[in-house]
Amino acid sequence: MNTGMKISAAGHAALVLFVLFGDLFRPNPDPVEVADVSILSEAEFAALSQPAALPEATVDVEAPPTPEPEPTPEPTPPAPEPEPTPAPTPTPAPEPAPAPEPAPEPVPQPDPVPQPDPVPQVVDPTPPAPAPVIVAPERSTRPVPRPAPRVAAEPVAPQPEDTPVGEEVQQAVTEDATSDTAVEQDPQEATAPEETTTEIVTEAEQPSGSPTASVRPQARPNRPAPAPEPEPAQTETATTTPEPAADPLADAVADAVASALSGGTTTPEPDLPVGPPMTGGEKDALRVAVQRCWVIDVGSQSANVTVVVGMEMEDTGRVVADSIRMVSSSGGAGSAVDTAFRAAQRAILRCQGDGYDLPAEKYAQWKEIEMVFDPSGMRLR
Amino acid sequence: MLGLGHVFKLGTLGAAVMAVGLLFQPAASSAQPLRIEITEGVIEPMPFAAPAFVAESAAAQNFAQELSQVVSSDLTGTGLFREIPREAHISQITSFQSPVQFADWKAINAQVLITGAADVNANGQLVVKFRVYDVFSGAEVGQGMQFVGTADGVRRMAHKVADQVYSRITGETGYFDSRVVFVSESGPKDQRAKRLAIMDYDGANLQYLTGSGAIVLAPRFSPDGSRVIYTSYQTGEPRIHVLNVGDVQSRILPAQGGMMSFAPRFAPNGQSLIYSATTGSNTDLFRMDIGSGQITQLTTSPSIETAPSFSPDGSQIVFESDRSGTQQLYIMSTSGGEPRRISFGEGRYGTPVWSPRGDMIAFTKQNAGRFHIGVMRTDGSEERLLTASFLDEGPTWAPNGRVLMFARETQGASGSSALYSVDISGRNLKRVQTPAGGSDPSWGPLQ
Repeated sequence: MNTGMKISAAGHAALVLFVLFGDLFRPNPDPVEVADVSILSEAEFAALSQPAALPEATVDVEAPPTPEPEPTPEPTPPAPEPEPTPAPTPTPAPEPAPAPEPAPEPVPQPDPVPQPDPVPQVVDPTPPAPAPVIVAPERSTRPVPRPAPRVAAEPVAPQPEDTPVGEEVQQAVTEDATSDTAVEQDPQEATAPEETTTEIVTEAEQPSGSPTASVRPQARPNRPAPAPEPEPAQTETATTTPEPAADPLADAVADAVASALSGGTTTPEPDLPVGPPMTGGEKDALRVAVQRCWVIDVGSQSANVTVVVGMEMEDTGRVVADSIRMVSSSGGAGSAVDTAFRAAQRAILRCQGDGYDLPAEKYAQWKEIEMVFDPSGMRLR
Repeated sequence: MLGLGHVFKLGTLGAAVMAVGLLFQPAASSAQPLRIEITEGVIEPMPFAAPAFVAESAAAQNFAQELSQVVSSDLTGTGLFREIPREAHISQITSFQSPVQFADWKAINAQVLITGAADVNANGQLVVKFRVYDVFSGAEVGQGMQFVGTADGVRRMAHKVADQVYSRITGETGYFDSRVVFVSESGPKDQRAKRLAIMDYDGANLQYLTGSGAIVLAPRFSPDGSRVIYTSYQTGEPRIHVLNVGDVQSRILPAQGGMMSFAPRFAPNGQSLIYSATTGSNTDLFRMDIGSGQITQLTTSPSIETAPSFSPDGSQIVFESDRSGTQQLYIMSTSGGEPRRISFGEGRYGTPVWSPRGDMIAFTKQNAGRFHIGVMRTDGSEERLLTASFLDEGPTWAPNGRVLMFARETQGASGSSALYSVDISGRNLKRVQTPAGGSDPSWGPLQ
């Protein structure tokens, strides 16, 4: 064997091994989901569609929840959206829609839907179908009615014996009919059939599901509102703290929160813009603006006095009229203090012009200002 | 007793509390007023507006004009105020009672507005009214005030108005309605005639109290300003005289035999005086009771002690002495005791004067061939020299302790002596206008 043949043989051998032991031809293990499907005959479909003509019937729906929970064996749920748990037993059918709903009573002519057959199909558990249906009922405030009607609707249609599938159904129906329960159901039948019609009508015309879904967006705008601003949040937490009393740790934390919050007794109004902390540059700008007008008489007794002056500010940066007050003083007394205060007051008022240049978005931080006028660095030595 | 578990729990609890505290710290701090610390200002005259006083009668027309001029002059003369020219005024004050348009005065940056009116009443007396406003706060400072006096006292009335304005704005008493007694000098240096003279603080209303026949030195006002005590060579040797300012009559105080006495100064109560007397080469301090003539020797050192000055409360005196070998300043109790040296700088210190405020001492300092007027704390600290020249000497305090007046002599054979004043900040040095030269000023009390 020449070299070429050896290489060829080796290559083929490798290929064979790969085919045998590799995944190349391994069958796809992925399971295939299978859904049970029931087939309706034209007759059945027609039968189903007929009830749709009676719109009013749907209105009374209220009573329907009745879809006899009877555990009929036959699955094959013709209708796709059968509500999974229409548990309520068909007990009270007689009082359907009491006084308020007039239409229902009269409409439900028992004739069209004599057989209570429908019942059996309801139960069918097959999950696939219900899933989509669930969505609609959820959001809609209209409670129970929906589920029941659909279930009922299907059973009504299958009356005839058209398709082969229908045969199976009939068997189940016959069994039920024979049973005692069937007898009991008779009085209920009047209501059941109505439901059926309701179901169909709803899907075709009623916007029951879609419109409700569209409503959801309206809720979104509400989200921002609830989001509380930092300020108000404090008060809320403060109020909540007292509730828990058992856990000492929780108490301590709550106390800490309360004390931290109470520290700022003069909490700024919640509506005022707080913004990020004032920068050194912004503070310096204000300081420089005022000190330009602070005239110091270095030879006077007032040059020994340090005064702290408080004031309130308008959002325009101007000082609120008559809000300037002396918070404290040190280094002197009597007229020297008064003189020092007036000099500070003049400085503040003189240099404000149309308002000090302060960041509007941080108004809450400078709505109240205290200025310390300390001439110690300038007075005579 | 706490177990480990408790300890751990407490630790956790503490950490949680601290964490919460830290978490809320910014919020709490943000609730506090924004705090700004201002440590620098400007030193500049305060602009004020003083419209011409309103003449409420034809007879008061001239007075009104003079009044406003003197008031403005007093204030601007301090160096602390600057008058805004009347041409710049937007509003005109035509009635003393009319409301003030603060916006108009703000517009010209007037911080203080002074309005006034003059009238002559039925008795021929001059009536002066005034108000002071803080323009930027839009409020009146103090209350309106009214003075009544004789028409020939119009300048004094103006000084009184200025004192009130000054006091209301600076918080300190004024010094405009005060007088200065000094030695008026005329003629060449080698034949200089010296007379005792008295004048308003600004040089106006000068009057001579003595003739030029005898040399006079170191006049000093009594605390109430009614008398002047000075040294005169009228008798051929230096003797202390007391002059009554009202009738310009003087008398010679008794002296110890064979002693030359000089540098007298009244005690704050006006009942006694302190002076120095020389025997041979020794000069000491003495205290004399004016009423009884009783004399008490305060120092006995063989050195020269002179130029004594009382503290405002009369409990201490400051004086100069060369007991350390150089001329320095000392403080001692009025009742005697060991003097305490307070000056330790280079050069020679002399003519100390205690401030009416009581917190500082002014002095003359000679160092490196130049003379200075300076001030220091009563403990000798914070010494500051306010002037410097060929010859500055003899400081005297304004009644409010804010301004110093002193004599400055120029160099050379044709040099002359004149009076100057300076703010204790060292600013606003200016010459006091006198018809002739002057020396040895003594500032009298506020009238």
